[in-house]
Amino acid sequence: MAEPILSVRDLHTHFFPNEGVVRAVDGTSFDLFPGRTLGIVGESGCGKSVTARSILRIVERPGRIVSGEIILRRADGRTVDLVKLASDGAEMRAIRGGEIGLVFQEPMSSLSAFHTVGNQLIEAIRLHSTLSKRAARTRAIELLALVGIPRPAQRVDAYSFELSGGLRQRVMIALALAAEPRILIADEPTTALDVTTQAQILELIRRLQQERGLAVILITHDMGVIAEMTDDVVVMYLGHEVEKGPVDAIFHAPRHPYTRALLRSIPSVLAAPLSRLATIAGSIPHPYARPPGCPFHPRCPDAIGGVCERSFPLEVAIGERHDVACHLYTAGAEAVA
Amino acid sequence: MSATPQVLDVRGLRKFYPIHRGLLGRLVGQVRAVDGVSFTIERGETLSLVGESGCGKTTTARCILRAIAPSEGDIRFRTGSGAEIDVAQLGRKELRPLRRQMQMIFQDPFSSLNPRMTIAEIIGEPLLVNGIGDVRTRNARVSELLDLVHLPGAYLNRFPHAFSGGQRQRIGIARALALNPSLIVADEPVSALDVSVQAQIVNLMLELQDRLGIAYLFVAHDLSVVKHVSHRVAVMYVGKIVEVAPTSALFDAPRHPYTEALLSAVPVPDPRLRAKRIVLEGDVADPSDPPPGCAFHPRCRYATEQCRQETPALEEVSPGHWVRCIRAQELTLRGVAVAGEGSPPS
Repeated sequence: MAEPILSVRDLHTHFFPNEGVVRAVDGTSFDLFPGRTLGIVGESGCGKSVTARSILRIVERPGRIVSGEIILRRADGRTVDLVKLASDGAEMRAIRGGEIGLVFQEPMSSLSAFHTVGNQLIEAIRLHSTLSKRAARTRAIELLALVGIPRPAQRVDAYSFELSGGLRQRVMIALALAAEPRILIADEPTTALDVTTQAQILELIRRLQQERGLAVILITHDMGVIAEMTDDVVVMYLGHEVEKGPVDAIFHAPRHPYTRALLRSIPSVLAAPLSRLATIAGSIPHPYARPPGCPFHPRCPDAIGGVCERSFPLEVAIGERHDVACHLYTAGAEAVA
Repeated sequence: MSATPQVLDVRGLRKFYPIHRGLLGRLVGQVRAVDGVSFTIERGETLSLVGESGCGKTTTARCILRAIAPSEGDIRFRTGSGAEIDVAQLGRKELRPLRRQMQMIFQDPFSSLNPRMTIAEIIGEPLLVNGIGDVRTRNARVSELLDLVHLPGAYLNRFPHAFSGGQRQRIGIARALALNPSLIVADEPVSALDVSVQAQIVNLMLELQDRLGIAYLFVAHDLSVVKHVSHRVAVMYVGKIVEVAPTSALFDAPRHPYTEALLSAVPVPDPRLRAKRIVLEGDVADPSDPPPGCAFHPRCRYATEQCRQETPALEEVSPGHWVRCIRAQELTLRGVAVAGEGSPPS
């Protein structure tokens, strides 16, 4: 496989509110390859969005990256550690929105209501290029056409509130692509949309990726979207990466008890009507009350007493590019017990 | 009095919103949010209303609860004692006894509970407001309700902020059960919850139905959840029901092209089943200016010239399976069961 375009190494992003410390991301590592889609999946509070915000260096106070590396391989082959850059410096600003495009969940709140779609696009284009206003407008219309917006030459002068949810999300994608990024980070891009519109947007992301060889990080809570879209998957729980591997292995040979439980608990259109769902006991702990040791142990059916509540398991390789962080698979389990 | 076990019988329900323009507020049109919806729900049955946003499913539910007044139509509700009331005709004061028997569960468990009331007060409020029992019997009932939704009795004097989303939804369900309703209207009750918690609430709703014989009108956009909870499913498009059928029939062998497209768009949680999706072009039609003929024809891959002119009626194509499509008899559509081959995830 080609060299990764982005490598995250042992990333820790913590929040320091007055009440204590929230370890929102606590040791995440993964590689992103050109032309491939990496899915980050997990329930609320798992750290999937904070991981994305860390990569873009837009973590808000009182949060900050505590340690780790985020290595970006630039177009000229040089590598740069994004953690070492100033978050508002010129280089990071060129990367954010330039080399890395971003699509958020809420197109309504991410787009300005006071500027036309075209003016927002033109601004984004000119920020990362030397095009004239007129050339940028032409480019904006091209981008709207690229993301499948009908009548782009007229829609370029529309305001975001005049567009439907699906069209707004298309505009967001056009904005993210304005500077021809090589990486696209999509954080719950279809969560606010209807299932039919979701299918349109996923289809669009897939097409753009094939046409442009984009590397995509897709962040979602929806296992269906992960199965549909990704090549590789990182499963997170309470700030920890619990399992990662090729999408087929994650769905057909899941090893971590959390991944297994999550897959069993999702409702499916293929299920028998009125059939009960498998559940995961308990609920997701409050951020200030995260369990010690393995964060999943209080809800885990396979927890090993005396081990899992004491130490966080190391990540071990259990297959090709398939890693799991669970005491069930570490040789050290006996040693601790 | 007939012996039908129906809890709810809705006929020709319409809700139009006027559009006014200009200084004099001239009436220039109407948003036909709900445009002639009819269905029944039997005792202990779950009927789901599904469709894209703006299809009128929530408006329909709100008319039945009389949170809003319908423009037209009958809503016949049979109370626990067997009396039949036409909900659509009731005045404000007459609504109160109805509300004992028809309850609702909300989407957002975070904003639907009063933060200044304890759990005991929240669950006991419907009893208090309706003047049922004395303090002691009310407290006993509250404990019983808490038990019914599997929450520990120790939670009684706590406030909502101390609870997770799933626990709050349980509290909301306990409150809805307080007056022994025969029908619960649930508008997206699990869509704000995490997957692992969603499964617990879905199971709880199924369990309560088995134990108490409650009927649910379940409004949802997530077809996977709908498959798990429903006896029958009604698909709405631009204010009208386009297909209604028993759950398995609707999912396995849909007869309306819109249902087919809706099912096809649902991502299946198995990477080996990445089927070619039917991607619907364009957006939902404008309910203030629906297209002539069948409202779905501009997005329908099977549309003919006739579909642009003729307004289809809801017709029964097999027992209990109703479809609003003039081509229903000739089309062979794809359901979810034949979406692809492969083994289910382990």
